Amino acid sequence: MRPLTEEETKVMFEKLSKYIGDNIKLLVDRPDGSYCFRLHNERVYYMSEKILKLATNISRDKLVSVGTCFGKFTKSIKFRLHITALDFLAPYAKFKVWVKPGQEQSFLYGNHVLKSGLGRITENTMQYQGVVVYSMTDVPLGFGVAAKTTQECRRVDPMSIVVFHQADVGEFIRNEDTLT
Amino acid sequence: MQRLYVGGLSHTITQKDLKDRFGKFGQVEDVELRTRKDDEGVPYKTFSYININITDADLKKCMTVLNKSKWKGGTLQIETAKESFLHRLAEERQMAEQQRLLPPAAEDQKQKMLDSLSKAGVENFTMKAAVPGTEVPGHEDWVVSKFGRVLPVLQLKCQKGSRARTLKYDPSKYSHNIRKLDRPSADQSASDLPTPVSQLTWELQGGDDDISKKRRGEFPAYEPPKRKKSRTDAVNLLKAEGKPRLKQSVDSVALTEAPQVTNGHKPPSAVRPAQRKGPPLTLSDIDSDDEIHKIVAVQSSSHNALQQEEDEDKLEVVGLDYLVTPGRARQQQKGGDEEENDYDSADTDELLASRKPPPPRSSSPPPQERPTLTAGNISGNNTDRKRKTKKKSKAEEEEDDSTDAEEPSTQKRQTKKQSKKMKVLPVVKPSSSESESDDDEEEEECESADSSSDSDYEAMFSNVTRLEISLADLQKLAEEFQDTSETTAPSSLSVSEQETKPPKKGTTPEEILAALMEDDSSEEEEQQPKKKKKKRKADATTQLLPAFKGTKALNEGSETEEGQKEEEEGEGTEVKKLKVDHKATSSKMNGQKHTETESSEDEEEDEEEEEEEPKKKKAVVKNMAEKAESVSSSSSDEEEEEEEEQENKGKVFKTMAKKAQKESSFSSDEDEEEEEVPKANQNVLPSKAAAASSSSSSSEEDEDEILPAKDAVKAAPPPAPHSESSSSEEEEEEEEKQAPLRVPLGAKEEEERQRKANIRRLAAVQQRQKETEENKKLIQGALANLDAPAAGAGKHIVFGSDDEDDEEADSDDEQQTTSEIKTPKKTLFQDSQSEDEAPGHKNTSTKEKLSGTHLFGSSEEEEDADEEEDGSRFDIRPEFEGRAGHKLMELQSRFGKDERFKMDSRFLEQNEDKEEESEKKKSGTEEEEALEEERKKSLSILQSVLGISQHTSSSSKATSKAKTFRDVSALHYDPSREEHAAFETKTEETKKESKAARRKKREEAQKLPEVSKEIYYDVSGDLKAVFGLTKEEEEEDAVAVAEKEETNWDQEEEKKKEQEEAGEQVEQPSLESSLPSAEKEEASGFKFSFFGDDVETGSGETAEYKIESIQAPKLSWQQDPRFHDSSSDEEEEKGQEEEEKTQSNVIAKIEETPTKTGLFFFYPEDSRLTEGPKLFCRSSQLEEQKEQWEERRTELRQEYRKKHKDARRKLKTSVKS
Repeated sequence: MRPLTEEETKVMFEKLSKYIGDNIKLLVDRPDGSYCFRLHNERVYYMSEKILKLATNISRDKLVSVGTCFGKFTKSIKFRLHITALDFLAPYAKFKVWVKPGQEQSFLYGNHVLKSGLGRITENTMQYQGVVVYSMTDVPLGFGVAAKTTQECRRVDPMSIVVFHQADVGEFIRNEDTLT
Repeated sequence: MQRLYVGGLSHTITQKDLKDRFGKFGQVEDVELRTRKDDEGVPYKTFSYININITDADLKKCMTVLNKSKWKGGTLQIETAKESFLHRLAEERQMAEQQRLLPPAAEDQKQKMLDSLSKAGVENFTMKAAVPGTEVPGHEDWVVSKFGRVLPVLQLKCQKGSRARTLKYDPSKYSHNIRKLDRPSADQSASDLPTPVSQLTWELQGGDDDISKKRRGEFPAYEPPKRKKSRTDAVNLLKAEGKPRLKQSVDSVALTEAPQVTNGHKPPSAVRPAQRKGPPLTLSDIDSDDEIHKIVAVQSSSHNALQQEEDEDKLEVVGLDYLVTPGRARQQQKGGDEEENDYDSADTDELLASRKPPPPRSSSPPPQERPTLTAGNISGNNTDRKRKTKKKSKAEEEEDDSTDAEEPSTQKRQTKKQSKKMKVLPVVKPSSSESESDDDEEEEECESADSSSDSDYEAMFSNVTRLEISLADLQKLAEEFQDTSETTAPSSLSVSEQETKPPKKGTTPEEILAALMEDDSSEEEEQQPKKKKKKRKADATTQLLPAFKGTKALNEGSETEEGQKEEEEGEGTEVKKLKVDHKATSSKMNGQKHTETESSEDEEEDEEEEEEEPKKKKAVVKNMAEKAESVSSSSSDEEEEEEEEQENKGKVFKTMAKKAQKESSFSSDEDEEEEEVPKANQNVLPSKAAAASSSSSSSEEDEDEILPAKDAVKAAPPPAPHSESSSSEEEEEEEEKQAPLRVPLGAKEEEERQRKANIRRLAAVQQRQKETEENKKLIQGALANLDAPAAGAGKHIVFGSDDEDDEEADSDDEQQTTSEIKTPKKTLFQDSQSEDEAPGHKNTSTKEKLSGTHLFGSSEEEEDADEEEDGSRFDIRPEFEGRAGHKLMELQSRFGKDERFKMDSRFLEQNEDKEEESEKKKSGTEEEEALEEERKKSLSILQSVLGISQHTSSSSKATSKAKTFRDVSALHYDPSREEHAAFETKTEETKKESKAARRKKREEAQKLPEVSKEIYYDVSGDLKAVFGLTKEEEEEDAVAVAEKEETNWDQEEEKKKEQEEAGEQVEQPSLESSLPSAEKEEASGFKFSFFGDDVETGSGETAEYKIESIQAPKLSWQQDPRFHDSSSDEEEEKGQEEEEKTQSNVIAKIEETPTKTGLFFFYPEDSRLTEGPKLFCRSSQLEEQKEQWEERRTELRQEYRKKHKDARRKLKTSVKS
């Protein structure tokens, strides 16, 4: 477990900023204590200083997970967000998409969000903007990337994809073995 | 009268002339003179019309005379003219009038003909009795034709070929085809009368089949051909099918909408069925199944389409500031969950709880009965009931005992228990308010509910899960539970946990607790009189509360068990466990109110069992050794010791005589019970007292087991759980102890002890009775105000039974503190208990003092002690004071406050501490620093990522301070402030500088080509040597240039402003807050005073030429300018300083007065100036120069000529070729 390098931090922040914009600073600079990002097994964990200290007691090879896993770096040093980061993305998300109850399940099984399932969308969402997907009851279900702008969403036919699926809470079950 | 035209008149002629002239021939009536004029108005023709009455002769004469005669320069030309049109018109009209007046001649003719025809015998163009073809006499061209009709002979002109000829058509010859259409005569029947066309009906008879319909002109409504899955068609179809269908669809839509709002998952499921249902209902007129199917399909698709449309309409676009309300979501979800239980995987308990119907129990006690009864009433009721219940209970007890006795001791435990259970259960049932008679039930319930208000009651019952469980259920449950308990203790735990859960659903635990407390307090108050009565009767107490009856019964059962146990001593502990479980179950069943607390207790019990087992053994061993030890001996479990001591010696070492008394009484009670004397219930009182006084349990288990029961009975519900818990704990302990203890105990000893105890007990009972009398009075008086003190009284027992605390208090101060520490970690209910304890304590004690009662008399002393403890309890122990103390506490808490691992101050090592602390601090600070640094770094990266400058807080606290509201409009310059000084100077400077900069730039741009390299190198050569080598300078240059390049001057200004602001808001830490603001100011000052400095210093060259070295901004492009700024600024700063130094040095060296003179390009003794004039002077002699020149000239000439020739030659050759 080590702190992120500058490059890694940059890559990660770039990714995060797609979803929560400059709210990242709320993650980095928290009033309720110092929190930090740590790299472990190519995964980025977000944890409080206290947990960090505690985690030092565990040897590196035995440590499975600390704090919250935000995602992992691919071999090509790209950052993949994991669904576990949703807890931190959802409250700070800039752009949101609400999915109708009928399509909730579909989304939770890893499918994209179609126009027909789109219940609500934040205005001025740009194309390929990272969005957090909510159910109509405001329960965060996952996140993805807007395939269409808000304006286009109004127009497109019902079967066209509106949000590309990236991660959903269904992964907690589906990818139980890989999620940390 | 004639009208004459006279032409050729001269223009001058007047009407009178004409009159005169023609007057000779006749009487001139009217002269009409006309002149024609050309365009210019010159008359060229004049003529006139004259109306003259003249005879023909005169006219001729006139004509001959005057015609072509010359008159007044013109030749007259006279002609007769037509009448004037007016005249003619008048005449015509007159004629018409005349004609009108005259009879028409044609009619006359017709009439004449008719007359003549009639004369010839023709009537109405018919001549009867005439042979067709005969001519009508007198009329040649009329012929008689068929039927005697007279018809005219027609002369028809026909043109055949070129010549026309007339054909004579004689109708008589063609008359064969003429039919006679007779006019209907008057006598003809009406039916024969032809109806007018308008009245014709055109009605065609026929069946209902399509063809006949079509014949009739009835065509079915046009249905356009259906195309599958076409939306519009579907919609059309819908429309065509009329309203019901439309409604249907609307309904379904509504369906979809409604659930969407309320519940997430319903709509799809709800929609489909509705659709499917719809068609058959509405489309009853559709015949075939196929049609229906088709329609269904169409409808569904159409519905989808509709939905889609709707969806499109529905697509909401939300602003960025849309607030997500998870709370709402939760709620909705909750609702959904409630609606569909199977939807989420909730605990089975919750499911059970949610499924259960509203508590039926609450209905059983009618509200009229419930309201608070007067004291007298209560007492009366109570007595009655008590009697009843007493009898019952006694009978039951007897039954139990007998059965138990009958049971062979050799029976297996399991079977026994089961049987017991079975037996116990019946006991429980009646006692638990579901007795044989409804009356009893109600009464009991009333008692239980007694003074509690309805709301309280409901609140109480709302917490309860199994409230509505029937008897059979209870039994079953009990059995099951037994089994489970036999197998595993944890199972009971789980069950109890289950029980605990239900309260969640309704009210918060606090509320419930509060309700319970109220309830209990009130109940207690009322119970107190009862108690007195009980004391008198000594029996009835247990029956008071149905809830506790169960426990009592259980106790009884357990008592019997114990009897057996004595026989099978070895099995003690296990049995006890089981018993505990029993209790748990029974209490569960009975004490609905206490389920939660009980469960917690159960947990506790189990835990304690496990924990205490070793301890107790130890204690037992110890006991054997140290009989002489005092009560306050160091052993942690005073209670146990006491017990042991008692048991061992028969008499106790206790200081308090009363206690001893009680205990003895207990023992006697026990004996009685064992003997199954009906009085046995009397035990209740002493046992109660014992419990209250927290006397550490009598020598025998039976007592102990009774104790809890009694405690429970006495104590109002909230204390009850507590007491129960404590009692159960006690039980366990004791029981567990017993098992080992029993072995050493001799039967004789026991007997002796019992006897003594009995005596004491009797005495005590008498005393009690007196006391109770007094008490009664007091309490009745006190009942007037039921509220607070009563509540306190309720807790009395809580406190009394709270053995642990007492023990702790007695044994060890530390322990107390630990217990204090512990309390917060305990479960909620325990927490509340412990909290309650303190006030409860005081209340009880004060009450006791006031009343002087000995209700809990034996415990007085103890309680006093408790009071003291109470006082001291909240003092901070010396060991825990201060930092070290805190640490110690933490150390202790690390072991879960386990008493075994208790640590006193010895464990605190002072020196170590400090070192550690310092180390810790060091390490902590280091870590913190590292973290801080990391954070800063990440923030800076974040900045670079986001591309925004974020003045975030380095620490939130600082920001909170810094983020005080700043009214920008109110911002004004205050010269007295230092911060503002920076503010002031900069604004002016920047503008000037910026202008200067612009100018400079422009100049440079122009200058660059002009400035010769020589000059450049010459002048700046030495300076460059001086400055150019330092790295900082280079960087500086680069930075400056980069800045220049990157930011145009207005941006610079902006930046500057920002920085000024930063400077102004000194306290606001920026991202790069590591830099002190002062530095920043300087930096900013430097950054843009580049030229300004030059101007000021006058060392123009350096600056100028530095700027001209716009080569490569080496680093700046790849680094974020802002980020770079901070670091580079420092360098710049340094650089500046150095620069200044070096400047001064160098300049001092090279020129004596470099800066002051203020010349822009040149300074005195400039090398250029010295070298320049040389260029204007001759270096050599004139002749030489001349010679040189001539030589050169000749050479040049020759060369020229040569070239000329060559050129010519070339030209020639080119021409030739």
